[in-house]
Amino acid sequence: MPENGTRKTIEAARLHRRQLLAVTLAGLAGTAVGFKVSPVRGQAKKFAGLTITGAAFQSTYHEYLKTYLPEFEAETGMKVDFQQQAFPVYNQRMDLELSTKGSAYDFCNLTFIYSGRWVGANWFTPLNEFVTDANKTPPDWDAEDFVAGTTQHLKNAKGEIFAFPWEAGAMLMAAARGDLIEKASLGMPTTFDELMKVCEATNGKEGVAAYVTDRLHHWNFIPYLMGFGGKVFRNPPDDLMPAFDTAEGARAADYFARLLAEMSPPGVMSFTDDQAMRAQMSGRANIRTNAITWLTALVKHQESKVAKTSRFALMPVGPAGNFPGSNSHGFGIPAGAKNKEAAWAFITWAVSKKTIERIVKEKGYGAVCRRSVITSDYFTQSLTLNGDSVAPLYLQVLELGGKTGYMKYRTVPVYPQVGDKINKAIERIATKQQKAPEALAQAKDEAIADLKKAGIQL
Amino acid sequence: MPRLARPLPVATTLTVRHEHPTRGAAGRERLAPERQRFYWRMLMPALAVLFAVTVAPTLFLLVTSLTPLDLTKPETTADFRAPLRNFALLLEDRRFLNSLWVQAKLSFWTVSLQLLIGLGFALLLHMRSTLLQALRTVFLIPMVLPPIVVAIIWKVIYTPDISPFHWAIQAIGFNMPALITHADWALTAIIIADTWEWFPFTMLMILAALQMMPEEHVDAARVDGANAWQLTWFVTLPYLRGVLLVAGLFRLIDSIKAFPLIYILTDGGPGSLTEVTNYYGFIQAFNFSFIGYSSAITVVLVTFTVLLSWLTLRLVGWGRYVE
Amino acid sequence: MSSRAFAYRAAAERRLIYALVIVLAILIMLPFIWLVLMSLKTNDDIFAFPPKLFFTPTLDNYAGLWASSFRYSFLNSAVVSISSTLLALVVGVPGAYALSRIALKHEKSLSLIILASRMAPPIAFTIPYFLAYRWLGLLDTRIGLVLIYLTFNISLVVWLMRSFFDACPRSLEEAAWVDGASLWQGFTRIILPLSGPGVAATAILCFVYSWNDFFFALILTRNQAMTSPVAVVNFMNYEGWEWGKIAAGGTMVMLPVLIFSVLVRRYLIQGMMTGAVKG
Repeated sequence: MPENGTRKTIEAARLHRRQLLAVTLAGLAGTAVGFKVSPVRGQAKKFAGLTITGAAFQSTYHEYLKTYLPEFEAETGMKVDFQQQAFPVYNQRMDLELSTKGSAYDFCNLTFIYSGRWVGANWFTPLNEFVTDANKTPPDWDAEDFVAGTTQHLKNAKGEIFAFPWEAGAMLMAAARGDLIEKASLGMPTTFDELMKVCEATNGKEGVAAYVTDRLHHWNFIPYLMGFGGKVFRNPPDDLMPAFDTAEGARAADYFARLLAEMSPPGVMSFTDDQAMRAQMSGRANIRTNAITWLTALVKHQESKVAKTSRFALMPVGPAGNFPGSNSHGFGIPAGAKNKEAAWAFITWAVSKKTIERIVKEKGYGAVCRRSVITSDYFTQSLTLNGDSVAPLYLQVLELGGKTGYMKYRTVPVYPQVGDKINKAIERIATKQQKAPEALAQAKDEAIADLKKAGIQL
Repeated sequence: MPRLARPLPVATTLTVRHEHPTRGAAGRERLAPERQRFYWRMLMPALAVLFAVTVAPTLFLLVTSLTPLDLTKPETTADFRAPLRNFALLLEDRRFLNSLWVQAKLSFWTVSLQLLIGLGFALLLHMRSTLLQALRTVFLIPMVLPPIVVAIIWKVIYTPDISPFHWAIQAIGFNMPALITHADWALTAIIIADTWEWFPFTMLMILAALQMMPEEHVDAARVDGANAWQLTWFVTLPYLRGVLLVAGLFRLIDSIKAFPLIYILTDGGPGSLTEVTNYYGFIQAFNFSFIGYSSAITVVLVTFTVLLSWLTLRLVGWGRYVE
Repeated sequence: MSSRAFAYRAAAERRLIYALVIVLAILIMLPFIWLVLMSLKTNDDIFAFPPKLFFTPTLDNYAGLWASSFRYSFLNSAVVSISSTLLALVVGVPGAYALSRIALKHEKSLSLIILASRMAPPIAFTIPYFLAYRWLGLLDTRIGLVLIYLTFNISLVVWLMRSFFDACPRSLEEAAWVDGASLWQGFTRIILPLSGPGVAATAILCFVYSWNDFFFALILTRNQAMTSPVAVVNFMNYEGWEWGKIAAGGTMVMLPVLIFSVLVRRYLIQGMMTGAVKG
């Protein structure tokens, strides 16, 4: 493995040098003919000696990006200190940091559920100026290449864009031990009922828990809620009255709580995203329904012990329909950042066509947002895992979210507070402290109280 | 049962030095004006720093608790239209009231256990012996570790995959669930970790008091035929009453600060079973940025702290040497 | 009961107590030892059941940590702890002496403020300091931490040193004054040297409390001024959930203060006991 990587790095470096040469020659030729040349490629080491700091929540994309970072640093001369924390920790710290309009970070992740809040409070730098400035943006940037659904909430009403997406989290289903399902003479489940049946049949076999998830129930549970016919808000973004305390909501909560309490590894209620992934990767847990980022790693990650037995499919459908979660996160520049140009240079590299192509080809990453990549052959090929063709599933989920707008609940600025109440309600139900209707009613009351505190009229 | 000829001195104070001055009955002498000024000049910087660093921010906190300050809305900083609104909301806030109850449970159990275990260890270690003197250092360790490391240690102990504790139970044949995510055991898990961390404090205090205990009483009781148990119950314990009370009060006030254990082990969960009041305040302020509301929660906590501190000072003495 | 039987029983009792104490000490230390052992194991060894008592130790976990920005956080911790301790001593020791000697009207209120500020939950100060530092630009600075650590350090210094100075008879400096020393010299030449052990105990406690702080650093620092307790938690979420590295991080964070405390345990215990009981 290491030799492969070194070889690839050398090849890539050679590629870069060739490109540089080509561009410089072209540039010289261009200047001779009188064309304007983008100095970004022409001047190597533009940011020599500069160190920029950035942060994002921990995700496989960033892990992969970091392996290519030395090349970027060599090319631009800047050093990049790229920090990560677990999803909830990152969001909390960044929310606090952004509220101070401080300059601790030059670039950072614009999280989906905080986009309404962070964009609305003007805590990020509008990027339109950068995009239209040929001096700052490489010619192959192609801002329109990003699928519309993935950039929608990274803009404000005026059409200013504040971040460019690196992940479209389309929710799929992956089974780390597909062989156990086959042994039980079952196939990958397609409905909620089938999912429960599969779990019942395979739970505990060979010491493997049938299901696993992380503790972000405000993301994981909602597709089940909607699949049973429930809703988060009555009619977001205008009518924010919480609407999850219905009979359908209770049914969904009981279903999900059963998965947590009976079909998951012990201690699942405290798992982070990464812990859940490692539980699957080490073969201690089987099925997970979550964003594709966490699922393709089962085959592609070098520490995965389940590369051969993983299977992939669409999320199961509920009685009321199919509502797999989809979101997108982007890299943006905080309003108070000091090195905005350098940060922009990083962003244009981090989600450029080339970088994404590399990450797809070399690491098998699947949650891309560029149409040119999604519709390419190598993408489809790279995402064919153990015979399952995942690329079309991914596109399907992305487009589904755009069609009926059922994901609108997540970009409401107060969603973090409301989501926390849902989190706690699921915890209470799964640990048998309260029955579902009671727990959801309490969550609704608490959510209303917080909505009022935030000044929302109900 | 041996009766005591005269009452025992109750250990309410410990002395660091064996000689100490006694103040005249008048208490304070009238000082020459020059000396008074000298002392004032020495005192001023300390007082100024103390006030700037503790009192001023507390007043600021109080003022903030009267506003609906929300970091996404800078205009709420000086919104005094409904100053008591946060406190009114607190009274109706079920989660806040739950947090008070959780805090009460946590404080009660941790203080009681720390006193009991500390007492037990102190009685055990109260012997002139170099071995025990050396072992005392071992018992010091949990108390000086950074609390966050204590939380990590116990996170490991409570994770079924890697915990020697879980393995031991499994080896005997029982199947123990993950404690920190179990509704019945989460708070107990925290209580155990907290007791492990702080029992050395009470143990050391009681031990120090025991070492001051006048030998005559013990000898007299022994001569009268008392056995070890009677000795402890009728001679030692009454002597320790004062120390136990003070140690208990100190641990009580300290238990309000519980944070790293909850942050690492349970995040207040499952549900809100381990969410103590200052943790709830932390979430409101730094997760939701409802700074105004969180300030109100904190004001309640500070009030409790001040009351308990006042109580402690009344029992211990206000700052002059009490014999 | 004959005195010989009494003595014999005492000896057997002693052995029993020794045995009991040793067993208890091992049990109490088990969680701590387990963490240190885990930091030396590979990932596979960590999950192995039944747990291996003999395994080949590896320093990989430590190597990975030391190469990262974790190192820098130790510098921050050291600088902030030492600075805050020194500042508190410089301001607090003379103040404590003056407090011990002066006739003060509102003494009880002052005692209450001192004790309460030491005992207040950190969030009580974090909220106003956070808001103020936002405005002053002191977030994520070492100075910012040094200042907020004064909330407990200066109260500690005044509290402990006052009771210590109370124990120094006034006759000492009065004798010096009679001999012609100035008021200030009476303090510096006579009282201060005597208070060496007290100052040592106080300084040690201040340092330990400052190093161990988590909450203030968690909220008020980002990456520049991050102290090591926060760095290890940051790290837990950073590299993904790798127990070996987490154990190594925890061990590294506690090692300085642990070694330090064991070396100066006499002063440490003295300081804690004095501070706890005397007014």
